Amino acid sequence: SISTSAAEADAKELQREQRARSALRERFLRCLLTMTNKKVQFHMHEKVDVEATFGASDIDVLNFQVSDLHTPIGVQKEALIRCQDVISFTFDM
Amino acid sequence: QRGWLHSGPLLWLQYVDKNVKLKVGKHEEHRGWLLTVDPVSASVVLVNFREDGASVRVVMGHAVEDVEVLQESDPETAERLRLFLLPPTTSSLDP
Repeated sequence: SISTSAAEADAKELQREQRARSALRERFLRCLLTMTNKKVQFHMHEKVDVEATFGASDIDVLNFQVSDLHTPIGVQKEALIRCQDVISFTFDM
Repeated sequence: QRGWLHSGPLLWLQYVDKNVKLKVGKHEEHRGWLLTVDPVSASVVLVNFREDGASVRVVMGHAVEDVEVLQESDPETAERLRLFLLPPTTSSLDP
């Protein structure tokens, strides 16, 4: 019937989407792994740039854990950076 | 047009390995080879190769305004990007 073939098409589409999602996510996680212990420059709103040593990200990419965060008012030994406050960040390989 | 955040993995995947121009906010623009898009945060990873390595820029998904393809992927660059992600511990066992 039409409804079963539509359901099958939906399942196929979902499978394709999940495969794409996992390929993209694996690459991103490997990228985060590469960043561990590297010096990273964070570019925030209002043209604020800060440098820190990258530690980890939570799974939802809401916060980054960093060390030696260089801020205009001093160096913070350990810190969490809210990803909402970040526009982009850069590092060298 | 749907926003970048809601484009979805099938659309994001189409940009992988391509050279793109990213519009960020109103005044910023970044170019590079697109390594991946995080499907959770829609953040984009751009790679620019240099003689002695590469520079990487990750643009948070919420800041991406627009993505434009400048150059299609080619096998050589795709392979370079793939190798870029491999863990450095594996070495060849050939004698």
